[in-house]
Amino acid sequence: MKKVKVATVWLDGCSGCHMSFLDIDEAIAAVAQKIDLVYGPLVDAQEFPEDVDLVLVEGAVSSQEDLAKIQLIRERSKYLVALGDCAVTSNVPAMRNAFPVRKLLDRVYVEGAEQNPGVPADGVPKLLKRAVPVHEAVKVDLHVPGCPPAAGTILYVLSELLEGRMPDLSSKVRFG
Amino acid sequence: MRIQDLSSYNAVRQAGLDKLLPQKPRIAVGMGTCGTGNGAEGVFHAFADEIGQRGLDVQLARVGCFGFCAQEPLVNVWLPGRPLVVLRRVQPNDVPRILDDLYLGRITESLALCKIEEWDHLTGQIHYGRGYPDIPLWNEIPFFRGQKKIVLRNCGLIAADDIEEYIAVGGYQSLYKVLIDGTPDAAIEQIKAAKLRGRGGAGYPTGLKWEALRKAKEEPKYLICNADEGDPGAYMNRNEIESDPHSLLEGMIIGGYLTGAHEGIIYVRAEYPLAVHRLSRAIEQAKQYGVLGENILGRGFNFNISLVEGAGAFVCGEETALIASLEGHAGRPRPRPPFPAQKGLYGKPTNINNVETWYNIAPIIAKGAAWFNETGSSKSPGTKVFSLVGKVNNTGLIEMPLGTPLKTFVYDVGGGGINGRQIKAVQTGGPSGGCIPQDMFDTPVDYETLAKLGSIMGSGGMVVMDEDNCMVDVARYFIEFTHSESCGKCVPCRVGLDKALKILNAFTDGKGTEADLDSLDELGRMIRDMSLCGLGQTAPNPVLTTMRHFRHEFEDHIRANRCRAGVCENLALSPCENSCPLHMNIPRFLQLYKEDRLEEAFESVVMDNPLPASTGRVCQHPCEDRCRRTNLDSAINIRDVHRYIADSIYASDRYPAMIERILARKLAPTGKKVGIVGAGPAGLACAFYLSLLGHEATIYDSNAAAGGMLRYALPEYRLPEHVLDKEIELIERLGVKFVFNTTVGRDLSLDELEAQYDAVFLAMGTWKEASARLPGIELRGVMPALGFLEAVSKGEKVNLGKRVAVIGGGNSAIDSARTALRMGAEVTVIYRRERKDMPAIKEEVEAAEAEGANFVYLAAPHRIVGTTDGRVKAIEVVKTRLGEFDTSGRRKPVPTEEIQVFKCDTVILAIGERVDDALPRASGLKLTDSGTIAADRYTLQTSRPKVYAGGDVISGAANVVNAMGYGKKAARLIDQHLMEDKRIAKLSRKWEYDQTPPASPSKEPRQLPGQLDPLERVKSFAEVTTGLTALQVLHEAERCLRCDVKANGD
Amino acid sequence: MPLHKVSIRIDGEYVEAREGQTILEVARAAGKYIPTLCYLAGVSPSGACRLCVVEVSGVGRLLPSCTTAVQDGMSVTTNSEKLARYRRMVLEFLLTERNHYCSVCVSNGHCELQSMAAKLGVTHVRYPYTYPALPVDVSHPRFVLDHNRCILCTRCVRVCDEVEGAHVWDIASRGIRSMLVSELNKPWGESKSCTSCGKCVQACPTGALAEKGWAVEEMTKSHENISRLAVKRGVRV
Repeated sequence: MKKVKVATVWLDGCSGCHMSFLDIDEAIAAVAQKIDLVYGPLVDAQEFPEDVDLVLVEGAVSSQEDLAKIQLIRERSKYLVALGDCAVTSNVPAMRNAFPVRKLLDRVYVEGAEQNPGVPADGVPKLLKRAVPVHEAVKVDLHVPGCPPAAGTILYVLSELLEGRMPDLSSKVRFG
Repeated sequence: MRIQDLSSYNAVRQAGLDKLLPQKPRIAVGMGTCGTGNGAEGVFHAFADEIGQRGLDVQLARVGCFGFCAQEPLVNVWLPGRPLVVLRRVQPNDVPRILDDLYLGRITESLALCKIEEWDHLTGQIHYGRGYPDIPLWNEIPFFRGQKKIVLRNCGLIAADDIEEYIAVGGYQSLYKVLIDGTPDAAIEQIKAAKLRGRGGAGYPTGLKWEALRKAKEEPKYLICNADEGDPGAYMNRNEIESDPHSLLEGMIIGGYLTGAHEGIIYVRAEYPLAVHRLSRAIEQAKQYGVLGENILGRGFNFNISLVEGAGAFVCGEETALIASLEGHAGRPRPRPPFPAQKGLYGKPTNINNVETWYNIAPIIAKGAAWFNETGSSKSPGTKVFSLVGKVNNTGLIEMPLGTPLKTFVYDVGGGGINGRQIKAVQTGGPSGGCIPQDMFDTPVDYETLAKLGSIMGSGGMVVMDEDNCMVDVARYFIEFTHSESCGKCVPCRVGLDKALKILNAFTDGKGTEADLDSLDELGRMIRDMSLCGLGQTAPNPVLTTMRHFRHEFEDHIRANRCRAGVCENLALSPCENSCPLHMNIPRFLQLYKEDRLEEAFESVVMDNPLPASTGRVCQHPCEDRCRRTNLDSAINIRDVHRYIADSIYASDRYPAMIERILARKLAPTGKKVGIVGAGPAGLACAFYLSLLGHEATIYDSNAAAGGMLRYALPEYRLPEHVLDKEIELIERLGVKFVFNTTVGRDLSLDELEAQYDAVFLAMGTWKEASARLPGIELRGVMPALGFLEAVSKGEKVNLGKRVAVIGGGNSAIDSARTALRMGAEVTVIYRRERKDMPAIKEEVEAAEAEGANFVYLAAPHRIVGTTDGRVKAIEVVKTRLGEFDTSGRRKPVPTEEIQVFKCDTVILAIGERVDDALPRASGLKLTDSGTIAADRYTLQTSRPKVYAGGDVISGAANVVNAMGYGKKAARLIDQHLMEDKRIAKLSRKWEYDQTPPASPSKEPRQLPGQLDPLERVKSFAEVTTGLTALQVLHEAERCLRCDVKANGD
Repeated sequence: MPLHKVSIRIDGEYVEAREGQTILEVARAAGKYIPTLCYLAGVSPSGACRLCVVEVSGVGRLLPSCTTAVQDGMSVTTNSEKLARYRRMVLEFLLTERNHYCSVCVSNGHCELQSMAAKLGVTHVRYPYTYPALPVDVSHPRFVLDHNRCILCTRCVRVCDEVEGAHVWDIASRGIRSMLVSELNKPWGESKSCTSCGKCVQACPTGALAEKGWAVEEMTKSHENISRLAVKRGVRV
């Protein structure tokens, strides 16, 4: 049987959703049988491959780099899951959204700096005006909220999708 | 003095009559807020001073408003025994003249609006007298003709602050009748039988409400008058109170007696200081005269009225919020039930009615339910006062029988659109109402019908909108209003309106998506169904109705980033640019010319419009119709300016260099090939831009030369051939190929074209004369206008005979008439409507008149009479009269019995052109119901995806610039499709020019081009208009107000 | 005064009720679920959150069950596709109106807005978030008011007014700018009328009102006590 090509992505988040994914413990062996993990923090690939069947996205879209990345990912993936609150609601990364980016950076890198005050410019992706949930940037096929979503939820979602069924999340998940 | 019985009542009445109809002249100045806003205060003082200085024995009074706001200040002048005359637009410097005339026993007739011989105040009649045969009676002038004054029976006729004048016209007689002769139950039955419904907008039967309060057991009971009028554009209640406060008091006192309430509260806006002042004074007087307070009319009934000034929250129009406000809380509503009749003010039974409802009470008591039922519709008898504002000639306060069709409001009373502009919609009911499109103006205005259309009657605001109003912006405006007036209590209204406003703001900024449109619809329904009170439940109405009736305007904003009305600033450069189908940057070329940069001005012009000299002569110039300069003096002569710029380049040795400059702008060859059918304005414009974009364009045409209608339908005296040739030279130099004498559909099939080209553009125009079913049409000497013009332009011999009759009122009718005149014929143009309704360019009609064409209006062809050998001998026309307004806002011509005969040798039919459907039918293209080729509004694609269509062939016969606009748009869309990129912007360059608007523009006349003498020019086909001079062009360029310069955001 | 008995149908089932009871009271007593947020047993209903709207046959409009009294023969539908959709929209509105970062909120795990969203199947919000900049009032020695979490349900306003009798709270301004204020828009800590009884905190469905220094696990609330208190003080339940 052809294995399902799965990718995971870590945008602006804390990696907690990936941890929770790993928390499915021994069930991962059964999942691994069915999938080919082609991209993500857990594997080595450098470039997001073409024709990905399923991608799990953790984190909000906060920078120009995130935006470009998620647009490419969307183009190359058949089914996109926003995994966890940052991807679904923009959550903690959005707590900066009420402040203008300029002010924010000054506060942190100039006012808050003990030495070498100055906003870093080189090699750092430019922040978007606001950190937004993934679905405000690209089309999302399934939302799995939670901070992080419980390991059981992730396993359930994966198993259902791998069986070609739409997971029924009503009353199973919550924000936070 | 206190009124206790009939004799004391009659004594007061006589005192009032002595003031109203004194033994000396009476002058009464209309001094509502509308009058004083227009300077009535100054007029009043001018009268007072002048009367004092001259020592005249004249009575001077302040009355309210008679309703015709557009004619303020209004002054009533009365001489004993003569009619009351209403003078209009009276200024202080008119006062001496008016008094001079008065002294001589005359009326200043030049200022007279109308006269009143007798007036039915319903509770009493006033006979002023007869005379002044030249002044129309008040109900003979169109503004008042359809009106019936029940509520406004006293407004503008009696002094607003004098109870004696109110009693003089029968005031407080209904109270007397109820208190002394009647029983409360019988009177409530009468209100019920009158089927009076709440005039605040919801239309709940007043009698039932009162009965419920009467039956309520708890005490005390309260009556509340809701005078918290807050709709933008509505001022009915303000005027009613300012002009006739006692009618409100009388209605409430009667209501109190009938329902068992002893306390009335009038909740009035604090922003209505004059209304508050007059009401306070009326309450004082009413107490003095014993019709209010303790022991009313000596019958032991007590009723008090107090005034509460509201702080102007719109939501306080909602009765439960109003009650909360009266109790001292923030104005937030609570769910009903319980209804105020059960638990109202301070938890006690309460009845709330709108101001206008109370005004109907005294007349119903005085004249009975059966009388009331005679007016209006069976379900909604009576009248309703509306404030008719917006884009109509006659604005004002009008009282119309319920059930009157909307078109009567707009066209008869309102007098139609300003400057003849097309009216688009009427908004009723303010922020809670909806927009009714012009094609539904047959709608009777009553509670049920308006609700069915998604609007409401509301308190009576009626805003007329024309083509300068953007319906998306209208929706946005009203949502912005309700958004800021939402009390914030319930979630759907508080947050939902915020979401809706954000979407609408995105639309007007050109940033909306089609998903937003669905989202907005869902939001609207949810807010409507889920909100707590009337504010939220009705707030989506303006959005839902505009989305229903004007969806194309929303789509224009979203899909084409276009705001046709030119209201949405981010979507339009200036009104002229926005209305030009070619979107010429008009302020730019005017400014460049002003800066003495003629070559660049030409470059700017020609890159926007490849036929600037031709359109500079024959364009319908929609840009000038929208020029904001019209509000100051008159539109800039844009058309003649770009004609001048083009003419002077063409005539100079700089043209070859200019051609090179344009050629240098051409993009690299793409290798794509486009076939164009038709070398008229649409085809030429399309080829011009396709070539610039690097594509290979080939135009096919049945004729032997390019130009289409420009060459074969527009006569030489309007557009000389050599001008057109010069312009086509540039198009040829760009590399456009022409294949002449080839008819696609006959010599070559569309399939073949499709196979040969990457895209095909159909721009064949409308060359087929519309068929007329007219007896005698087969006679020799009957010819279609286009055929006639084409034959003349090709130099073919046409025998017209001595007399020519031209049927029609469009441009081809006028062209035919002027051409025939030049061929030595006597010409009569026959048109079925009036002169102002003619679709032809106004200047052309004037030119034809000057050249001696005879015009017969209001006449439709009936039969063409022939000789025995089958030649035209005469034409019989049937005279028409103007009937009802049709959906175009013009009166429909209705045939009469009267027949007229005009002798003639030739009849030219110019009754419209249609698409020749041979090609579309043969190639299986879809056609619309009106016989044009069906093409997508936004992509111009026909039912065959590689085939595009534009110009008259999809819009129906229109004009040159319309066709060119389609050609330009088609080039952009075809390029976008072929190259999968939006490349049209690559053709534009950066321009540097002054961006300072004129500091303080003053009135400057529009410069007009020189013209040959009519009697001379009619002898030949020489060009009639000689154009502007260099200095004139500079004047025009300097007149530009620079609407393109946007104010800085800070 | 003896109250008349009436019977109504809820989702097809006959239920006995007393005249004067609301649809919500009758439904709850009969074990039927109708979602609410602004409703708080023991204080007067407000009808503001609109979650509890139901369909009543023969009535064109949707009616809030918390304020609509039962009438004999009434037939009520508590759930339908439309009601479910509209209720989800209400929650989406609330979640985007202010800043609800559940994961870092003191009420995470015992917030009524959070659990209601889960219960009604809101897995994401389709409307753009507004991210307003809102203050946090920490001036009171024991309690904290975080406007970021406030849903303007006015449960605190009503419980303070009707049960405690202090009327510290009210809503200032209007529309989307509405704000909960203490006294005349003074910092809560400077309030003279506040008795620091903490009923508002207990009544608050979200993390807008909380005890200072309490951890997420500790910050559970109980409004059953308020209802009981209300009965003692003679407030209608």
